[in-house]
Amino acid sequence: MNKLCIAFCIVAALAAGSGFAQTQSPGSASGGKEYKLAWYFPIPHPFGEAVQQGVKAFEKDMGIAVKQQIGVEMTQDSENNSIEALAAQNYRGFLVYPVDPSGANGLYQELAAHKVAVVNFGTSTVLPTPASFAVATDVKAAARTATENLIRLMGDKGNIINVLEVLADANTVLRKQGVEEVVAAHPGVKIIQEVGDMSTIEEASQKLESAISANLGKADGIICTGYTTTVAAVQVLKELSAKTPGKKIALIGIDDDPIVLDAIRTGAINGGTIAQNPSGMGYIGCALLRMLSDGYAPKQGAYFINSGTVFVTKSNVDAYKKDLDEVTKSILASLKDKYFNDK
Amino acid sequence: MLARLFRKNQSGIAIAAVVLFLGFSLFTDSFLTPYNLFNISRDLAFYALIGLGQAVVMAIGGMNVSLGAIGGLATTIVGILITKAGASNAIPALGAVGVGIACGAFNGFFITRFRINDFIVTLATSFIFTGINYGLSRGFPYTNMPASITFIGRGSLFGLPYLFWIALAIMGFAYFFFTYTITGRYILATGSNLNAARLSGVKTSRMRVVSHILSGFIAALTGFFYVSRMGSAQPATGQNWLIISFSVAVIGGTSLNGGVISALGLFLGGIIMVMIKNGLVLVNANVYFEQAFIGTIILAVVTLDGLRLSKRLNA
Repeated sequence: MNKLCIAFCIVAALAAGSGFAQTQSPGSASGGKEYKLAWYFPIPHPFGEAVQQGVKAFEKDMGIAVKQQIGVEMTQDSENNSIEALAAQNYRGFLVYPVDPSGANGLYQELAAHKVAVVNFGTSTVLPTPASFAVATDVKAAARTATENLIRLMGDKGNIINVLEVLADANTVLRKQGVEEVVAAHPGVKIIQEVGDMSTIEEASQKLESAISANLGKADGIICTGYTTTVAAVQVLKELSAKTPGKKIALIGIDDDPIVLDAIRTGAINGGTIAQNPSGMGYIGCALLRMLSDGYAPKQGAYFINSGTVFVTKSNVDAYKKDLDEVTKSILASLKDKYFNDK
Repeated sequence: MLARLFRKNQSGIAIAAVVLFLGFSLFTDSFLTPYNLFNISRDLAFYALIGLGQAVVMAIGGMNVSLGAIGGLATTIVGILITKAGASNAIPALGAVGVGIACGAFNGFFITRFRINDFIVTLATSFIFTGINYGLSRGFPYTNMPASITFIGRGSLFGLPYLFWIALAIMGFAYFFFTYTITGRYILATGSNLNAARLSGVKTSRMRVVSHILSGFIAALTGFFYVSRMGSAQPATGQNWLIISFSVAVIGGTSLNGGVISALGLFLGGIIMVMIKNGLVLVNANVYFEQAFIGTIILAVVTLDGLRLSKRLNA
């Protein structure tokens, strides 16, 4: 029995160490030049998967292989370990989602000391940062767009529940500001409740139900500026509509989770969502790393690249991805002139 | 009579639950609405089940850090069975429960066979189960669950959700199991004093395995119920269960040293946790201070129960 157990442990360790490792395509050459680029996302997640699609499209279009690594934990510590291991394999350019916008700078400083280029995607690190660029959604602008659309849907009057997500996230403050600034410009509209501090869909559903209970008959619209809360809000509102037919609370969310898109397509919710451009983040991020590897220096003050958003409603729910691709193409077309000095 | 009632187990948390209920009923006009009562009784079902999943291993002096990971894996299995394999009716539930039992047995086997601490084994397996979950799902949710699944999580009987009645029945069974069955008593005896139980002829290792299988079973069942409530199978289900499970179990009077479990206490612990979370939103508490309010109320509840216990011991 003991021998059997030892054999099991050895087989399990070997399997874990080799067969199941999530490693794809090492760095490769394009036009005679050797690029060693890597992309990292902290956990398996639909957002990461969508960014990875852009990375893969870049590989296909440019003939440059990019190492793609997905971590196991949404912690900066785990990210540090993975990226340090990749750097030890001589990767020279990293496209990274910084888990801790402040803590990631420590890792980047060490990479920069070894002349390794870093580009953030999804969010920025705290400035000043050793990262050369950040390709991400302008979260405040996205929150403003979402709020403007919600208010339009409400007929420029009524009460809003403002749903925040993770309070410790610096982007939450920007989203909150974006929502509040737009509401302040519309005298007929008021934020009647703010809920926040939700990191899972279960938790978000529970709090949203409570918030709706507190404001049943008073709330005209809900604004969700986080992925988790948007998915939860769709589920909660669908259930509410089934129980209490009649006037629907309007909802504007963010991201294009299949649950959200399906609810928009079928009219199960009265509203829409702000689709980010994750695929564009992956493609543009890799293009930036390539230019940095080619020796182009970023222009003074050029750092943040807004990857763009598209407002998705029932009318464009099946076609909005083309609009996002157009946004990506337009950013790529101006990349060299707008963000880099001549060599 | 009041003094006698005060000396009963769980009377402290029962009083706290009543105080919270009255407080939120008075301070907000939304608390007693049918919509809110439906939602909090459904949340209560989840909290009580998650607490029970932890309490059955705490009763034997152990713990299950992988509780949420098992729930998440079971959720994904339900999603795969429905959307990929086209399974319906009872098969997804059986698949989830089968996975939960297998995970619990896996935990129990390693804990007893290699005499490794519960914490270490379940910590390791939480990574294994989460890894398998994400490996299978890649983090994507499974959507469009059929009505044959969602009616359990969304339907109601006498104005209260089915899940509430199911959780009540499971708590009743837990009470019966730990009070009247030999296996239940053996689990408590093992948790109370391992050596004494062993010397009395109790197969303590087997009891540990049984308690972990029960824990895995409850976690998986709860995962299935989450699918029925949400109408989608979210691989991230269970991520926040660890704190909930310990909070509900400990507030409900389950001993961290083993040997004590109370189905009524778990139910009351669930009520308190759910009412605090719901009530703070209803009274429009400042979101940035919310955690501080939750912590303060929980501390007040356990202090009240502690005072009651010390008074009883001094009497």
